[in-house]
Amino acid sequence: MRSTEFNWFRTFLEQQSGIIISEDKLYLVQSRLKPLLRQHQISDLNQLAKHIKYHASSDISQQAIDAMTTNETLFFRDQYPYDALETLVFPELSHAKGISSPIHIWSAAASRGQEAYSIAIAANESIAQAQKRVRILGTDLSPTAIAYAKAAIYSQMEVQRGMPVTRLVRFFSQQGTHWHVAKDIKNMVQFETANLTEDKLVSQVRRFGPFDVVFLRNVLIYFSAEERKKVIDRIARSMRKGGYLITGATETPEGLNSKWEAVLFKGKRLWKLQ
Amino acid sequence: MRKALIVDDAKVVRVSLSRIMKQLGFETLEAADGQQAIDQIAAHPDTCLIMLDWNMPVMNGYDFLLHLRSIPEHVTQPKVVMVTTETGMNSMLKALAAGADEYIMKPFDKDMIAGKLDILGIDYD
Ligand SMILES: C[S@@+](CC[C@H](N)C(=O)[O-])C[C@H]1O[C@@H](n2cnc3c(N)ncnc32)[C@H](O)[C@@H]1O
Ligand SMILES: [Mg+2]
Repeated sequence: MRSTEFNWFRTFLEQQSGIIISEDKLYLVQSRLKPLLRQHQISDLNQLAKHIKYHASSDISQQAIDAMTTNETLFFRDQYPYDALETLVFPELSHAKGISSPIHIWSAAASRGQEAYSIAIAANESIAQAQKRVRILGTDLSPTAIAYAKAAIYSQMEVQRGMPVTRLVRFFSQQGTHWHVAKDIKNMVQFETANLTEDKLVSQVRRFGPFDVVFLRNVLIYFSAEERKKVIDRIARSMRKGGYLITGATETPEGLNSKWEAVLFKGKRLWKLQ
Repeated sequence: MRKALIVDDAKVVRVSLSRIMKQLGFETLEAADGQQAIDQIAAHPDTCLIMLDWNMPVMNGYDFLLHLRSIPEHVTQPKVVMVTTETGMNSMLKALAAGADEYIMKPFDKDMIAGKLDILGIDYD
């Protein structure tokens, strides 16, 4: 890939997704985009870049953006967010909102769905009538990740990363080497594609909120400092005051128009909307 | 140093599990069947973790587990992680009922094992 095309693609990607690729990541772009060449019978990456340039909303452009997302995730990633839900957040919500009012939770960079289903499982273990009371929305930029999440079928490798076997036998059913999320859990979660860097995000998720809890984990790292602030403000506008934001362990929410109070849980910070 | 006992009749599996457990900061012991595992546990009662295969000659992992959990003088019982090609849900339920703490369906890798140690609250490097 020539540097003109490479630089053009970097700009395009940032505009479309917020994802920043530094100048030294040519190899990354090349290895992620190469599979598209064969599929669309395009001769080389320069041609691919041209195609995207002149057909910005084509399938190929969408697939190119999709290919640049890092969808790595696992069930119960880092454990503490789920411990925090069970011992701090859910009890507080039940107290504040009453035992029977609905609880709205958003997994805002849901990838292949592990995070949203982990939240559903945690809710099931600690909230009475969770299947009726708790509604979970999972969104992601990547249509392939969202399709996978909707299917709710995971490989043997995936279900063994981070998930206790007791939860596996309780909340999944087995078909050969694949594991299906139990219906009761699956029904608590809905998935949609959504772009965190677009203003329409707020209206897009409105009918699922306002959210009491938002998971926004391991995605801010891909954005510029400026973009992060905008994303955080959009998240804030979709939440109830006093609601919790759970970021990646090392991530800090900084908005222009939103204020967050750090709440310590087992040495990790959760963020309460002011 | 904390001791982990690795029980598997396949030498390649013992070697690769040992390597991973050493990287995670454990001193490792090995056994090729359930009977050898009983002997190792008797010689090293301070073993805190057992990585246990199911299918082995002489005494299989399941029978060893039943035996281990019935030793009354073993006050501080080691945690047991089954590491096996038995991938049926029924096998998992059976192992859990017999006192297994975690379950790994082969193949495994270091991340997966570290994740299971997190779940069990066992520290590692
Ligand atoms: C590393 S995964 C994190 C998954 C999960 N939250 C976790 O912590 O395990 C990052 C996800 O962010 C998504 N993503 C990247 N840019 C995005 C954007 N602009 N809008 C929505 N999702 C985006 C990617 O598609 C990817 O699935
Ligand atoms: Mg064997």
